[in-house]
Amino acid sequence: MTSQYIALPKGVLEKDFDTAIRDFRTVLGDASVLTSAEQLAPYIKTMMPVPDGDHTPSAALLATTVEQIQKIVAICNQYKVPIWMISTGKNLGYGSAAPAERGQVVLDLKRMNRILEVDKDLAFALVEPGVTYQQLYDYIKEHKLGLWLSMPAPSAIAGPVGNTLDRGVGYTPYGEHFLFACGMEVVLANGEVLRTGMGSMPNSNTWQVFKWGYGPYLDGIFTQSNYGIVTKFGFWLMPEPPAFKPFVIQYQDEEDIVEIVETIRPLRISGVIPNAVVIAHALYEAPVKAKRSDYVSGPGSIPDEAVYRIMKDHKLGIWNVYAALYGTQEQIDVNWNIVTQAFGKSGKAKILTEQEAANDPAFEYRAKLMCGEMTLTEFSLYNWRGGGGSMWFAPVSQARGSETLKQMALTKQILAKYGLDYSGEFIVGMRDMHHIVDVLYDKTDPEQTKAAYQCFDELLAEFSARGYGTYRVNTAFMDKVAETYGPVQRKVHSTLKKALDPNGIIAPGKSGIR
Amino acid sequence: MKARKITPLITFGVMSMVFFLVSGWVSAAQDGKPSPNHAWKDGAEIYAKICAYCHDVQVGPPIRNRELSPDYIRHMVRNGNRAMPAFRPSEIDDESLAKLAEFISHRSTQP
Repeated sequence: MTSQYIALPKGVLEKDFDTAIRDFRTVLGDASVLTSAEQLAPYIKTMMPVPDGDHTPSAALLATTVEQIQKIVAICNQYKVPIWMISTGKNLGYGSAAPAERGQVVLDLKRMNRILEVDKDLAFALVEPGVTYQQLYDYIKEHKLGLWLSMPAPSAIAGPVGNTLDRGVGYTPYGEHFLFACGMEVVLANGEVLRTGMGSMPNSNTWQVFKWGYGPYLDGIFTQSNYGIVTKFGFWLMPEPPAFKPFVIQYQDEEDIVEIVETIRPLRISGVIPNAVVIAHALYEAPVKAKRSDYVSGPGSIPDEAVYRIMKDHKLGIWNVYAALYGTQEQIDVNWNIVTQAFGKSGKAKILTEQEAANDPAFEYRAKLMCGEMTLTEFSLYNWRGGGGSMWFAPVSQARGSETLKQMALTKQILAKYGLDYSGEFIVGMRDMHHIVDVLYDKTDPEQTKAAYQCFDELLAEFSARGYGTYRVNTAFMDKVAETYGPVQRKVHSTLKKALDPNGIIAPGKSGIR
Repeated sequence: MKARKITPLITFGVMSMVFFLVSGWVSAAQDGKPSPNHAWKDGAEIYAKICAYCHDVQVGPPIRNRELSPDYIRHMVRNGNRAMPAFRPSEIDDESLAKLAEFISHRSTQP
């Protein structure tokens, strides 16, 4: 007999799923329970090099209240139906809106999109999962609150809850987003509602101003995890500074990453440069200005000679360091002298400010990201190879020049083996660097798709063999990355899972946790 | 070169304290009321706050003033295309998508 569903949850009989769907409809109404292929199409498309069928959901539920979610988890427990939560569903390059495993029911929280509170004086926000950065940006502007957002490159269409819960990053001084998280409301698998930190105390007004509460700090276990469903999320916002000075420093040789990191680390640790700095390779910035097909054709990775021609034609360094100073004009003047002296020592650095680079499209979008202005220009990356294939390879490096050089060389070598380009950057760190590489490939080309999968697998294997851990990964590779962190951590994760969600109904497979 | 000057903050007067019921006891901030659930005003707003970030800056192809059919636009929005992500009805509801498709397909008199 043909199923009426495009997929079924693993281990769930269709007759039981029918009953669960009926009960979901009773809670949410027919229009908010999606099961047809047409309705579920937007939940299926991913950028990963695996068949879409591997991540096809059985249904999607559009919840709007905490009470509905409590009822949904009760139904899921009764019928052992697994759910996969999304907020804005724009985790592009990490799995988009599709579930980790075929047949999971997507719990789509996009319609929970109220901005509950923005406090101008204490500079914090409390929002629901479906709030986008664009929505919050508009709200702050409309109410003239004088606060800045920090957001990732998909800014306008992504949101602070999903991004922070996946431990994403931005580019302002608040760029390490989870550092600035403060208080969550979480629906647990048993239906109870937990407010973390000071939020557990009735009548407390310090939920969004003091992180730690009393006893073990719990917020961390609800990030990159499946221990609960976050329905409210507090975080701190940056007061708009009186002045802002973005700049870019260009270098011409790949080995110069050593000098860059050694120069920038003390400036970051001391706070002279306060923001999440980006050290972008030429091939990360080139798509904003150039077409790959103008420089190379046929299979294989782009040769260094072509990269140098792109740099020359489009005024790029092989490394492009984007950073900014914030504060009063006096503060900026003092720190600018320190920055220019530090980078001026070797004579290799070319320092450009808005005066020289204001009309440069790469500088323009980077400057916007560093002051919380909406832009999706970084999506130009997807035009480099075309075909809609993208996976973020995201190993962590010490903020030590020799280490970043080693990681760059190893990544480039493995990508080249599979005919792929090094579109990489190092970001954020004071003591660490998130090494972010967009593994771009043409998903309409079966051979390139196969190569991309094998390449990513090898990148994970080779990096973990050298002790380089990955901080975030797409849903197709979560188990593999979990393995690299060893059996004890996996066992602890699993023990917590069994204690908090004994039926395994909340996002089984997230970060390899079941 | 001097740093970019930023417009001084506007000091707000005292705004009325608003309370709202979310499991009992979350209070609103002094500076802003909790927002209602988000709803799109019209097709132009959706275009400006989603589509234009790619299609007006040469990241995606231009789509306005090309007389693309509303059905084609609806299909692209719901299914995505290559690198273009798909947009769900929870992001752009069917009624708003119809307005967006109309806005994009309608030939503008503006240059």
